[in-house]
Amino acid sequence: MPSVTLMAEVIPALECRGLSSGYGEAVVIRHLDLVLRQGETLALLGKNGMGKSTLLKTVMGYLPALAGTVRLEGRTISGLPPQRIARQAVSYTPQDQALFPDLNVGDNLRLVVDDERALRTAVAHVGGYFPFIPDRLTQKAGTLSGGEQKMLLLARALISAPRVMLVDEITEGLQPSVVTRLVEVLRVEQRRLGFSLLIVEQNVRFALAVADRYAVLKQGEIADLGASADAGAETRIIDHLRL
Amino acid sequence: MQAQILDIATSAAMLYAVAAGLLVIFGVMKIINFAHGAFLTLGGYCALLTTWAGISPWLAFPVAAIVGFIIGALVERFIVRPLYQRPLDAILATWGLGIILGQVITLIFGREVQFVQSPVQGTALVLDTDYSLYRLLLVPGAILVGVALAALLHGTRLGLAARAVIMNEALARGLGIDSDRVRSLTFGLGSALAALAGALITPLSSVDPAMGVPWLVNAFMLVMVAGRSLISLMVATVVLGGAQVLVSSYASPVLGGLTIAVLAAIILRIRPQGFARD
Repeated sequence: MPSVTLMAEVIPALECRGLSSGYGEAVVIRHLDLVLRQGETLALLGKNGMGKSTLLKTVMGYLPALAGTVRLEGRTISGLPPQRIARQAVSYTPQDQALFPDLNVGDNLRLVVDDERALRTAVAHVGGYFPFIPDRLTQKAGTLSGGEQKMLLLARALISAPRVMLVDEITEGLQPSVVTRLVEVLRVEQRRLGFSLLIVEQNVRFALAVADRYAVLKQGEIADLGASADAGAETRIIDHLRL
Repeated sequence: MQAQILDIATSAAMLYAVAAGLLVIFGVMKIINFAHGAFLTLGGYCALLTTWAGISPWLAFPVAAIVGFIIGALVERFIVRPLYQRPLDAILATWGLGIILGQVITLIFGREVQFVQSPVQGTALVLDTDYSLYRLLLVPGAILVGVALAALLHGTRLGLAARAVIMNEALARGLGIDSDRVRSLTFGLGSALAALAGALITPLSSVDPAMGVPWLVNAFMLVMVAGRSLISLMVATVVLGGAQVLVSSYASPVLGGLTIAVLAAIILRIRPQGFARD
């Protein structure tokens, strides 16, 4: 009989089986099978319109699964509304409108933390990575620079103590130095917290730097799946993106 | 002139108390609750019942607020919630509900005009004018309502959740906020404020099944002008309520009754966002 530890290792953090979804009549994701292992980072790559963001929205419950299932650590979550999925320690950072620009920095963080003491501790912790956060808690989030907004998004995701993080194109429009900082923080925090990360990316270098594995989506199906450390992974991905 | 200044202040206070609940529901749920007038009437009858029961008239206010909250939350759950995806139908449903509530009140209490006991009697000398003490007390009462609402919105987790739902409901849900619960509490709160306003007004006028109708029209126009801001609502009630008092005093009370609706229409024609900043 397998031990509890072994069982935990076998159960994926997130599992999509035969998943189809889309917008009304338009099917974007087609019979997709995808497994996010415990503690790993999986980068989803692909050209625009291939279904990367649609997949995250379906996992989060914003879009209904037309077929198939989504399981979170063995429990079926397809059919649940986003707030119930989020409360199962799933953190979702959408590509657009991911912050409340008219709320201040502190309130944007407060939304995912239950009490003030926990918030103070969390702010002190993420302030170690992003010192502007504790200094500008009362500043409206919409007035931060683009890079600072992305850092705030990552901080908000981290302080929600996620088991699974879904991140949609967090590097879009960022300076390389900021991207490097985000990679460092994600690596350190993933080691500390042990969360699993499903990240949608257009930036191949960032994706391979942060991910253990990658998957290329084409027409809502997985066209390629492999380890980021594989020799030639970057070339293969770029070839897929060109075609 | 001093008496008119006091009339403007107290009229603005009454309008603020009436419109605040409508604005809260409009802000969070993006629908106008046309049953607001019926909830106001309900509050008036709660005050009547406390008078009949012979208990302290001060108790009319919490009783009205609690009854308004409970019925409001039930209405949200069973009538408004199934229509979230069809906001126009939701608005029509609240209109129909207002009619039904009015008829039920008529069936129970009859059509006749009735009077309630005021918790405060007598007058006070203010600005060299002997003025109704109860009417004067409505000013701090309305300020208290505004401060309490601002504290709720800006000092509590529920308020933060409500503001997040107002700004971006999809994102709020993705962060674990139960927007259905926020809407339910908001509708209950807005209905409680309407009923409280009804209980506050009745000692100055009378109670009858149609008492909420003129207040609903004025509150609706004030909310259209104020947008979703409690501060803008305060400005709107002082400006438009003040105009209503002046027109009633110097022209005719009939024209005074139309003043808020006409001025609001003109303001919205010139500045579609009304008194809101954007």
